[in-house]
Amino acid sequence: MQEKHRKEEKLKTELLTISMGPQHPATHGVLRVEIKTDSEIVTQAIPHIGYLHRCMEKHSENLDYRGIIPFTDRLDYLAAMNMELTYVMAVEKMLKTEVPVRAEYIRVIVGELQRIASHLLFFGTYAIDLGAFSPFLYVFQDREFILRIFEELSGARLLYNYIWIGGVWNDITDDQIKRIGTFCDTLDESLKKYHTLVGENKIFISRTAHVGIMNKDMAMDFGATGPILRAAGVNWDLRKNRPYSIYPKMAFDIPVGTGEKGTVGDCWDRYFVRVREMHESIKIIKQCLAGIEAGPIMGKVPKIIKVPKGEIYMRTECARGELGYHLVSDGGKKPYRLKVKSSCFTHVSMLPAVAPGLMIADLVATIGSIDIVLGEIDR
Amino acid sequence: MHNEWVSFINTSVPTANAVLVQPQGTTDAATGVTTPGAGDSWITVASEEVKAVCQVLKDGEHQFTTLHAITGVDYPTEGHIEITYILSSMSKNSELLLKTRVSRGDGVKLSKLPSVVSVWAAANFQERECYDMFGVLFYGHPDLRRLLCPDDWIGYPLRKDYVVQTKYRDMVINPANKMNFQEREFGARHEHIAGASTSVENYSVPAPVKE
Repeated sequence: MQEKHRKEEKLKTELLTISMGPQHPATHGVLRVEIKTDSEIVTQAIPHIGYLHRCMEKHSENLDYRGIIPFTDRLDYLAAMNMELTYVMAVEKMLKTEVPVRAEYIRVIVGELQRIASHLLFFGTYAIDLGAFSPFLYVFQDREFILRIFEELSGARLLYNYIWIGGVWNDITDDQIKRIGTFCDTLDESLKKYHTLVGENKIFISRTAHVGIMNKDMAMDFGATGPILRAAGVNWDLRKNRPYSIYPKMAFDIPVGTGEKGTVGDCWDRYFVRVREMHESIKIIKQCLAGIEAGPIMGKVPKIIKVPKGEIYMRTECARGELGYHLVSDGGKKPYRLKVKSSCFTHVSMLPAVAPGLMIADLVATIGSIDIVLGEIDR
Repeated sequence: MHNEWVSFINTSVPTANAVLVQPQGTTDAATGVTTPGAGDSWITVASEEVKAVCQVLKDGEHQFTTLHAITGVDYPTEGHIEITYILSSMSKNSELLLKTRVSRGDGVKLSKLPSVVSVWAAANFQERECYDMFGVLFYGHPDLRRLLCPDDWIGYPLRKDYVVQTKYRDMVINPANKMNFQEREFGARHEHIAGASTSVENYSVPAPVKE
């Protein structure tokens, strides 16, 4: 249509290059997307990353195994518990450490609470991206409870250093268990309310349905994981398909995108998969609270950790997708190499494939819906 | 499972020379105590055939449809860089570490590997990062630029013998008045305590530059 219009009027047109970011509120951090636009329509988008590169992989070659845990916190600072858990599990598997059952329960409780906190933040910021401000304030009240519980457990609100090799640092009290239980009940109700407020809103649907479609083929080709893969209609969750920790004991469902409001794999599906995941996490937490048993919280770990020579690739399901650590040990006190496979890194590389043909405002909606954290991308 | 994959690779790509490596147990010479090996097994293939091997692994019966990461490990004493392709299959629920070796290059000429972008689109960013951090060229890559470092950065940071440049454009890197030397002193002071972190001793920080 535009081509035809141009030919008729013989207008001289050229593509306009716009730099979106690095200091742009809609890119959720220091991401720069170089976009070439034909009036309002994006023809090409090139992500430039590395503004938050803190050499974490190089640092960890010079740190002992315990000293790396705080560094893993700072990768995905919105889901730090998940980051710690994966790393700690990799080291434990190499050491063949037995983790006490109570510690495993606590790990799953904090891990799922962290997933809820991260998804709640996504919920709020995504609504802001699309112009709705008040849901952000609602979800922050709920997120605040989770952060306060984490503060009681670990002493920190964002970067915890709570999950240690062999167990967890601090025990959970009966009072805290009771309060988490009450919180889960209220959250289950209020989430439904929030979803009616945002997800069923007519403007929200027209901004997100049929927009930024990442279908199954594209997701598989790019190696997408987590909510993006599930929104594309693939039923794959490591907690179910390759279970670790105490997940085999838990009963929960895996939400998959169905294209309810638009096409399978559009922004609305990615939003709704996350909302339903929060309900599933609540289910898991409730089962954990019922099943937690008394006992020690720390297993037997040598004072100086020396991991035997070998390699391991450990991956778990984090809030944003699969996180993997490739740990190479030469038998010493420090890892020889630690590679972090981040899911956001994969997802941001999908932007050049999904962006052409979108309006600029829809590109903002798409970037918001893949829920990136630059700390994890740049490492 | 791994043995099956090895024979599959060797029959599909006869020149691939696939070998299975399993974690080795170590025996202490003094006490004679054997510790069993830990971790994953992996398969090594010839570096020229990486692309062909990846293609058959994806299209063949084992269906490794997902590429998770391409990563390197530098072994300066052996004189090579080991590149690991981390693959997984959702339909078969399996995971594979595929490895190959390239030389470290002589400082001017970098060693080359075939790019697998045409097999998995995920390889695009992964290969760019690998080139950025280890200095391995992937021929056939559509857009091989540095990813995390600036385009005009010198050196390959994750190599073991990397020393950071002293100046980048007009900026001094690691200026002496901004370095936290107390942290290093802490490590040195507490070295006698068992288990204390003395981990900062190996930082390759050059001598401070005076402006």
